[in-house]
Amino acid sequence: MIFNRHRHHHREHHGHHACRKIKIAIAGNPNAGKTTIFNYLTGQNQKIGNYPGVTVEKKSGHLFHGRHEIELVDLPGIYSLSAYSLEEIVSRDFVINDKPDVIVDILDSTNLERNLNLLLQFQELGIPVVGALNMSDEAEEKGIQINVEQLSKILAIPLVKTIGTKGIGLKDLMRMAVRVAHGSINTSRRHINYGVEIEDAHHKIIRQLKTDPDFCHQFPSHWMAIKLLENDPDALLKVKQHHRHGEAVLLETQKIIQFIEKHFGDHSDVVVIEQRYGYIHGALQETLKQNQNTTNTTLTEKIDNIMLNKYLGIPIFLLIMYLIYQFTFTLGDPLGLVIEQLFAGLKSVIQKTFAAGIFRDFLTDGIIDGVGGVLVFLPLVVFLFMGLSILEDTGYMARAAFVMDKFFHIFGLHGRSFIPFMVSTGCAVPGVMSARVLSNPKDRLVTILVSPIMMCSAKTPVIAILSAVFFPKNAGLVFWLIWISGWIFAFIFALIFRKTLFAGEQTPFVMELPPYRIPTVRGIFQHMTEKSGEYVKKAGTVILAASVIIWFALNFPKPPENFTSNAEQPETGLSIETLHPSAIEQSYGGKFGKFLEPALRPAGFDWKIGVALFAATAAKEVFISTLGILYGIDEAPETDSETGLQEKIKMDPAYNPLMALGLMFFIMIYIPCIATLAVVKKETGSWKWPAFQAFYTLVAAYLIAVAIYQTGILLGYGV
Amino acid sequence: MTEDQKHLLSQLKPGQHFTVQKVNAKGEIRRRLVDIGFLKEEKGVVIREALFCDPIEVEIKNTKVSLRRSEAEMINIKVMEQ
Ligand SMILES: Nc1nc2c(ncn2[C@@H]2O[C@H](COP(=O)(O)OP(=O)(O)OP(=O)(O)O)[C@@H](O)[C@H]2O)c(=O)[nH]1
Ligand SMILES: [Mg+2]
Repeated sequence: MIFNRHRHHHREHHGHHACRKIKIAIAGNPNAGKTTIFNYLTGQNQKIGNYPGVTVEKKSGHLFHGRHEIELVDLPGIYSLSAYSLEEIVSRDFVINDKPDVIVDILDSTNLERNLNLLLQFQELGIPVVGALNMSDEAEEKGIQINVEQLSKILAIPLVKTIGTKGIGLKDLMRMAVRVAHGSINTSRRHINYGVEIEDAHHKIIRQLKTDPDFCHQFPSHWMAIKLLENDPDALLKVKQHHRHGEAVLLETQKIIQFIEKHFGDHSDVVVIEQRYGYIHGALQETLKQNQNTTNTTLTEKIDNIMLNKYLGIPIFLLIMYLIYQFTFTLGDPLGLVIEQLFAGLKSVIQKTFAAGIFRDFLTDGIIDGVGGVLVFLPLVVFLFMGLSILEDTGYMARAAFVMDKFFHIFGLHGRSFIPFMVSTGCAVPGVMSARVLSNPKDRLVTILVSPIMMCSAKTPVIAILSAVFFPKNAGLVFWLIWISGWIFAFIFALIFRKTLFAGEQTPFVMELPPYRIPTVRGIFQHMTEKSGEYVKKAGTVILAASVIIWFALNFPKPPENFTSNAEQPETGLSIETLHPSAIEQSYGGKFGKFLEPALRPAGFDWKIGVALFAATAAKEVFISTLGILYGIDEAPETDSETGLQEKIKMDPAYNPLMALGLMFFIMIYIPCIATLAVVKKETGSWKWPAFQAFYTLVAAYLIAVAIYQTGILLGYGV
Repeated sequence: MTEDQKHLLSQLKPGQHFTVQKVNAKGEIRRRLVDIGFLKEEKGVVIREALFCDPIEVEIKNTKVSLRRSEAEMINIKVMEQ
């Protein structure tokens, strides 16, 4: 086989190991289908969504193509190889520093001009490039006909038609990439011609760069020269820092740029892009035909005429969110009941099989009440994420950013902050991470500091149970109000931070609105299983651990001997339960709660809530499990042990709707969970920010809860 | 088609067609606008505006792009009367 011989030759030539792994970068414009293709090829479940900016970190995966092992790296979507936004920096650094064998550029065939603008920039890097003409199904629908062979010849880049969602063409794509990696397909390093003046300038700069061979080895000189021409700040910096004759190169570059700008009457980077687009225009004129009969309004336009209507846009957005929560509760609650009964059953089995005593109590009141109390809300989480992923996959998210931007902007935030905010309504951990879509560090930090105030899937069950118990007639409405207030408080804090700590400039909002797409069942299912998997995992780890610790804290030290009736008298079926509440009050946890109580009184909280709130900094769901443990232990012997936590709370005379309202606000706002604080540390690079975040949210939550309670008392809602 | 007096994209109302003249911005925002297709002689149309007239949606290079009025202010255009 010629192909094989060539491969051997290639290998010997470069002295590679026998089974060299091929490294392929999956790059391209935002929302072109990169992650879809990456997932299909590697079998991974990375997040996909129909809006630009879903992927913010590089992700790598493996696959075998025949005998070849391939490492695929999925990169964030970018428009250009400049280095302004974090996405650009991540992608650019990867292709330059990690030097993949091939870059597979995923192109949106319905929008080739803008996509080729990036493809040609990859070609300039000198790394072999393969183009995937993705979304070819949509292109066909739109009546776009591409002469693939001819276009490929003009660009000197192999092109393969693909449909990422169906996996069509992906085998061919990988075959092509492998062949290119082995050099058996000649991807000439042909670069586009920018016209005499620029080509001249370009050559001059290359000549200057070549005075330092080491530098040219590290950074492709052809590409570096273009970046210098474009006055790219990052390229200028690299030359200054790493080039042996940096000063001279920069001086010469500035002279050349001045000449170009005078000649063309525009900034040099604009001139370069214009030339490139000019070239693309020419190439497409010969190879792309658009049937004109499909120009009447598309479905997307029709839908947007309603969804983005000037006056209806915001009401529709709020209504959609309301419907999602309503849907979540109507479907999730009955299922939650089923799970609750399962755990109650398990509890009675344990009660029958084990002798009464501290160990049995540990199992039933510690582990089952703790973990089970949280798992009851699994159906809510599943349905909530189903709703959110439908919004993401249809393309409504980008519309929501459009509709809401003015509002965000008033509070000094960017419309794109909408994405981390929205993700935070699921979970603040990915929410904080998705703040990377904000390229301005100030925007990003403010968003990170405030977005964990949103309702998240962990707070959802806590707020849900409290609204169900204290506002049984209007649970859905109260929940929705608290949900909204999460947004409002986040905005208020954002404004405060923007005016004080982070005054300053903002980043571009400019954003493509993708066409509406029908969500795939597989995609939604993926989201749901992933999120519920995380939830279950959390229940089995953090929450289990917290439950155990809290149970011990509430049961030890054991009350003095004359108090106890426990393990020695199994037949009574009564354990330490008979003796408290004083027994719990004597425990470490109880003492701690009692210690807090004076401070909590103004908000109407008692020591039990104090304990639960403290414990819930581990994870917000722990609030419920802690109350579960407290009440599990607290059970009076005559009470039916199967009574749900909800009834138990309701029966407690210390609690009333007013206190509950303040409590819900407190839970929304106060200290983010440990997982969130950890990721904030990771994202901001220092403990300073999570510490600040914990502090300001605690103070604010306390003041708000006190204000609500005290005002309520004054107005006579106290009981 | 005749030319009008207006000069900036931010001054247009939904339904108006335009031709780009120049992007008057700096740094990241200039790069983004130009990359996305606000190039000299490029034709486009303002599709709609959100509440309080901001942001706006524009069709350019066959795709829909949303941008703030403050960003549209940085784009010099010629108004095309259809
Ligand atoms: N019709 C159609 N839709 C596709 C195709 N490939 C991907 N999609 C959809 O396009 C949308 C974007 O897909 P992603 O894989 O998230 O795109 P991406 O390039 O990773 O996006 P970013 O990470 O935001 O840059 C999703 O809704 C996909 O289902 C395709 O070939 N045809
Ligand atoms: Mg992606």
